[in-house]
Amino acid sequence: MSTENVLLKFAPEMHKNYLLHILNGKMPSYGSSLDTNRAVLMYFAVGGLDILNSLDSITDTRKKSIIDWIYSLQVINEKDLTSGFQGSTNLNTIENRGKNTLYKWAHIANTYACLSSLLMLRDNLERVDRCAIINSLKALQLPNGSFKGAIDGVESDMRFVFCAAAISHILNDWSGIDVELMVDFILNSISYDGGIGQAPELESHCGSTFCAVAALALSENLDRLTRAQFDNLRRWLLFRFDGGFNGRPNKPVDTCYSFWSGGALKILDAYDFIQQENNHQYVLMTQDRRGGFAKWINCVPDPMHSYLGLAGLSLMDFGGLNEMFCELNITKRTNEFLEEVQKTWM
Amino acid sequence: MSDCSSDENENDTILYRDRPEWKDVTPLKQDDGDEPVVAIDYTEAFEDCYDYFRAILKKKEISERALELTKTAAQLNSANYTVWQYRREILKGLGKDLNEELDYIQKVILKHSKNYQVWHHRRIIVEWLQDASKEKYLTETVLAKDAKNYHAWQHRQWVIRTFKLFDGELEYVDTLISDDVRNNSAWNQRYFVINNTTGFTDEVLDREIDYTLNHIKTVTENESAWNYLRGLLLHGKEGLSNNKKVTDFCEELYKSGNRSPFSLAVIVDMCFEQLNEGGGDSRYTPQRAKELCEELINKYDIIRANYWKHMIEMIDKTMKDENIESSN
Repeated sequence: MSTENVLLKFAPEMHKNYLLHILNGKMPSYGSSLDTNRAVLMYFAVGGLDILNSLDSITDTRKKSIIDWIYSLQVINEKDLTSGFQGSTNLNTIENRGKNTLYKWAHIANTYACLSSLLMLRDNLERVDRCAIINSLKALQLPNGSFKGAIDGVESDMRFVFCAAAISHILNDWSGIDVELMVDFILNSISYDGGIGQAPELESHCGSTFCAVAALALSENLDRLTRAQFDNLRRWLLFRFDGGFNGRPNKPVDTCYSFWSGGALKILDAYDFIQQENNHQYVLMTQDRRGGFAKWINCVPDPMHSYLGLAGLSLMDFGGLNEMFCELNITKRTNEFLEEVQKTWM
Repeated sequence: MSDCSSDENENDTILYRDRPEWKDVTPLKQDDGDEPVVAIDYTEAFEDCYDYFRAILKKKEISERALELTKTAAQLNSANYTVWQYRREILKGLGKDLNEELDYIQKVILKHSKNYQVWHHRRIIVEWLQDASKEKYLTETVLAKDAKNYHAWQHRQWVIRTFKLFDGELEYVDTLISDDVRNNSAWNQRYFVINNTTGFTDEVLDREIDYTLNHIKTVTENESAWNYLRGLLLHGKEGLSNNKKVTDFCEELYKSGNRSPFSLAVIVDMCFEQLNEGGGDSRYTPQRAKELCEELINKYDIIRANYWKHMIEMIDKTMKDENIESSN
């Protein structure tokens, strides 16, 4: 393995430029496979800038135009229960602007990403139809407690359980979720090894474990874990650390798990058990000379790993980065802004 | 990200706007607002195809040409779930042969095996057909390239559970574990099969414990096997610390000088269990647990030193609580 491109000095300026380029520029056409989830890409870019304390590098006019673009993705459809946010404009035309047409449906991950991004941009969610979104959540929960991503045509798993919990928390309204059923689904997805899979009986995975733990925390149900479940879960997560973090036993370490595993450990109050001076080394080795972070050393950086790399470094208390509110996967200061906004709804 | 391999579709170099059979359709441009965010520099072919996609979606056209168009749209972005959803509506509307669709989606899955949407499409077609006879082979083909592909395992478990295809699965898992004893997905599948077939009866437990210990013997630093062993012991009446076969194995391993952190962690937990539940096995004392924690802290698991220090505190706290209890 060549180490020529390994850059161990943290370069926040470059990451800022990389993220601004994702946000304001045009991704090359090979990014077309990400076309339906542009809202999530935006969340990674804006969220990364928030962690870097660089939101000021987006001008106020641009912030306004980003906010308007996000609201252009909002679907309000009480009849078909498809309210929320689309992930992209790829079904939108001048003609169907503001109208509910076939397949212009919200996607739960993008609803979460849009609401979070609005908060990062300090929009007070005034134009969000909170009631409609909460009502539509009801249509996404399955009899086993899990959530599907959209009203039709999309799979279901723990990722969308997290999104449902995060949306309910942000909008401060849990009436769209059968919380008991959701908790059952999470508890049923705990594996024999202590970790949590995407659904019952599936292999434990740090991504799904983070989603499950955050959903329990947001819904104030962490105490539903028995002492043994709690201890085993922490043990399983702690063993994910191997210089960097892997996502499953016997898999290679990967930048994104520095947040998925690290964030879950933070929520479970166990992060300090692996806190040591040089933990940031692996993530820094995946830093690209032109900005951004990759999954592995000497790989192409991408927005997701860039965001999660920064979030992971923030957990390590490294580089003067803004602190994370792990339960929502946003910064603490953005969560404080959310709390202010929520006060106005009382 | 999209790949650049060519499809067998001979038409794919001709833009839709230049095709005579599409002359009656007015393409519809995407409305991305005045100042787009996270824009993608679409190729001309991408824009052309999706302009026509939006146009026929508006009419909800159910036709052969619409079906063909969804193929191109999916080739340009196989993660577009709307394309797949619409394609299914067309397949239904035209009453197409779903076995052909299975062949098609198999090719797509083999190219994009880490894509949620293509697996979801496959699953729905299998549901419609109520025929899962090709699914084991498909997932085996994908797992032959990447034995830990989560999507493939998820699909395989769904198929096996829904269509009761447990026969032969344990043998398959065994092959994978023989190929790579560290394949955690395979160990998980082993648990899945037993849990849904025989269950963990005493006899099965005994067999599985032998199986696992044999595999640990060959590679001691294998978290997957140790985790499976713990999972097994949760089913036994004896807990972690009272299965003679397991305790003898661990002691022998320790005596041989082996200091795998997984093995040390198990012995610590055995001591802790005896402390909590009262055991009486003189090998598993709080004092020994603390000594092992010290070994982990100083030598064998330095990166988790703080955790093992915490374990020592927990042991001390439990001992103190028990003393208070017994003096009351």
